[in-house]
Amino acid sequence: MDLGTITKIWDSILQMSAPHPLICLFFFPGGLFLILAALLYEWADRKLVARFQNRVGPRVFQPVADMLKLLVKEEVIPKSVNRSLFIVLPIISFACVMTASLYVPMFGVEAPIGLHGDLIITMYLLSVMTMCLGMAGANSMNRFAVVGATRTFTQLFAYEAPFMLALLMPAISAQSWNINVISEYASAHTWMIATIPIGFIISVIGLMGKLELAPFDAPEAESEIVSGALSEYSGRGWGLFRIAKDVELVIGISLIVTFYLGGFGNLVSFLLKSLGLLIIIALLQSSMTRLRIDQTVGFWWQAGAILSLIQLMILILVRIL
Amino acid sequence: MNKTIDLSDIDPNAKGSEKTIENRIRNWARINSPWAIHYNSGSCNGCDIELLTLITPRYDVERFGVKLQGSPRHADILIVTGSVTLQSKDRLIRIYNQMPEPKFVLGLGSCAISGGVFQNCYSVVQGGVSNVIPVDVFVPGCPPRPEAMINGLIILLDIARGKRQKSDYSQPMIIPSPEQDSAQAADKKESEAE
Ligand code: SF4
Repeated sequence: MDLGTITKIWDSILQMSAPHPLICLFFFPGGLFLILAALLYEWADRKLVARFQNRVGPRVFQPVADMLKLLVKEEVIPKSVNRSLFIVLPIISFACVMTASLYVPMFGVEAPIGLHGDLIITMYLLSVMTMCLGMAGANSMNRFAVVGATRTFTQLFAYEAPFMLALLMPAISAQSWNINVISEYASAHTWMIATIPIGFIISVIGLMGKLELAPFDAPEAESEIVSGALSEYSGRGWGLFRIAKDVELVIGISLIVTFYLGGFGNLVSFLLKSLGLLIIIALLQSSMTRLRIDQTVGFWWQAGAILSLIQLMILILVRIL
Repeated sequence: MNKTIDLSDIDPNAKGSEKTIENRIRNWARINSPWAIHYNSGSCNGCDIELLTLITPRYDVERFGVKLQGSPRHADILIVTGSVTLQSKDRLIRIYNQMPEPKFVLGLGSCAISGGVFQNCYSVVQGGVSNVIPVDVFVPGCPPRPEAMINGLIILLDIARGKRQKSDYSQPMIIPSPEQDSAQAADKKESEAE
């Protein structure tokens, strides 16, 4: 069976019936389906990194096993923490990313909810997730976790502005804050990776900063500060944080694909494009060493912010002229 | 000197051994994602360097799902190398206690088994790691070959699966080699001749 048939079947499944909002929320395209997809993405990322390092890498079901194991493991709650905060923070961060996923078109499906200004909501929810991470570290009363939390926040202030600007540029081009409208604009015009190249690069690297992947993993540097902000979390709490991060990866990749690589298209093109992005991310991850936190901040404010401002200026000038 | 530690009360299989679907899923997840933390409790660093070969391309243990973690809270397997020095004894116990259940311990090297070359040192706990914390599997060698370590991990996972009895491996198993046997036989003959 060639890819065209699969796409057609997929499209016909989508058109069969307008799903009930609750089904949207819990099974498809949000909820269960999204979680499984996120675990698959995590596997693809780990496998690609392993292949780049000439290793065999994990098995397909590895992230699923990891997640199930974490969910059934004992959860240790340290004595000195604020108990309710300790329990609630992973749930909030998980809820945030799952909510954010409802505004983003994924896997060839339009976003279930489209509001005016949902781009801002999505970015805000993704930031809240990082804030939760930092707060969890600060709440842990563990010196390593506190150092990790400080680094998480520092890094948040470093990459957040350029990353936001990078996602703002397509919005300015399309003259809309609505992700669905921007994606329609993107599929109608030339790919924005060609018209806004700097924005694309910054958004990909910004996504890596957001996910604390290799060159920007100072907040969870294993060789210095145990496991960073989440050192004290075990079992369920840590599992939720990990799922939240995986879902964030899917959301980030979907946003970049939708904005810069020509709209959300259909399932096959979406998967191919996101695989391409994952390969780039894995390549960067395995070819670079960890930056110190001051180098991270310097990188983002000296290179990232200025470059994205220049790109923004060019964009606005082109619009005016 | 070798005090036996009763493991029956901390056996993780005691509760979850009935074959319900829930338990099966639970066991499957546990066996397929054993995350490890490495603690050097006074090793000469030989074992630690050998341990790190496990995550290099040649022996990559990520294919079994083994990942080295930084925090004891995130780990399932505690890999201890070296004879336990008096300095690190308390820390070893603390790290063991910090790990969430179910947890397993893998002792690497002759030092972890008996104290090895550091046996009878003034600053070393006598009798190896099993006198400080309960150990599930020992891997002999000085340092053990990476293949032996992988074998040890697989045996550990078998224990977690319930295929093997934990207590079989709770004490160092010393399998006499043929040369040793013949040497002992020669010794015996000599003593008889005397
Ligand atoms: S077993 Fe050998 S290599 Fe390992 S710590 Fe002891 S002396 Fe060093």
